[in-house]
Amino acid sequence: MKSFNYNDMEFSVEKAQDRWDISCKKADGKAALVAAGLFAGLAESEVEVRARALVHTMLPVGIKIVGPDVAHPNLIGDLKLVGPDVTHPNFIYWDKDSSSFSR
Amino acid sequence: MDIKGSVAIITGAGNGIGEAVAKYFVRNGAKVVIVDMMQKNIDRVVKDIKDMGGEVIGVQANVSSEAETAKFIKAAIDAFGKINVVVASAGIIRDGMMLNLDKETGKVSRKMGLDKWQPVIDVNLTGTFLTIRDGAEAMVNGGWPGLLVAISSVNKVGQVGQLNYSSAKVADALLPKIVIGEFLMRGIRNIRCIGIAPGYTATPMLTGMNQDALMSILADVHLDRLVEPDEVARLIGHCVENEAINATTLEITGGLCYPNGIAK
Repeated sequence: MKSFNYNDMEFSVEKAQDRWDISCKKADGKAALVAAGLFAGLAESEVEVRARALVHTMLPVGIKIVGPDVAHPNLIGDLKLVGPDVTHPNFIYWDKDSSSFSR
Repeated sequence: MDIKGSVAIITGAGNGIGEAVAKYFVRNGAKVVIVDMMQKNIDRVVKDIKDMGGEVIGVQANVSSEAETAKFIKAAIDAFGKINVVVASAGIIRDGMMLNLDKETGKVSRKMGLDKWQPVIDVNLTGTFLTIRDGAEAMVNGGWPGLLVAISSVNKVGQVGQLNYSSAKVADALLPKIVIGEFLMRGIRNIRCIGIAPGYTATPMLTGMNQDALMSILADVHLDRLVEPDEVARLIGHCVENEAINATTLEITGGLCYPNGIAK
């Protein structure tokens, strides 16, 4: 099992047969599954990199969605920034209305 | 297209029809992305799917936000490398009449405010649009064939007390025709788009309904019971596999009729 901390949360990546599960320890101390059955056939070193990248995508730091409160002063599009740390390496600044994905 | 080996994103998969669709896909060999607003529902469904031996990730997201939609699309690609099926199942209701009537004077006043109108339009229409749009963008650019599914409702015919919901759902029902028209113009031939319009279905959304009203509605259902979420899931599964079904919205209602016996 591999563990890593991200955004004040503790994640663990655990092998289940030939695949991998990612779980997260919640604020109440209970563990919850983030993902299951991933990365079949990958080397352990690659699994950890992929797991970290996936968690970073699923839980971007520095942004909290509060809905379409367009009158709020601290907004980028429909996102309200809660204590944004724009220097954080995992901070995602959404400055366009969509995203494009590599082929 | 085979369900087995495909990757499906299902919004609103924390309960109801979305949960049934996700589990149906897993039972038939797909990998799934569970998207929902409620983390506790995501946790439960992800655990259930792990126990089924499935491959799954759970992403908390608000489908009415462009950034959140982009997040779960990218998470699907990060986890599974492709997307083949997108089911925009997230939906809410905030029922109410448009106007209040003063029976003594016959005058009316506004009743349904933007607090009931806007969230229903945001989730049921804007959310469906963003999910289908961004799913299509990723699938076309990735070269992944598949199916986009909008969830409409039989109440697209216009249900009193649901001006917000019916307005969104009739638009959702039309969406597949416009999307496929655009795909044809652009030469995109390997991605289909359909809508599913369930009737009254045994989901948690109905538990919030007036139960007397629900019993009254059931009297007009030829099937004499609610549609089960798994029955809707099986229809979507059939649509994945039957490539002739395209650019249309299919109803699955159990035979919902007007009180005079004419089918809606």
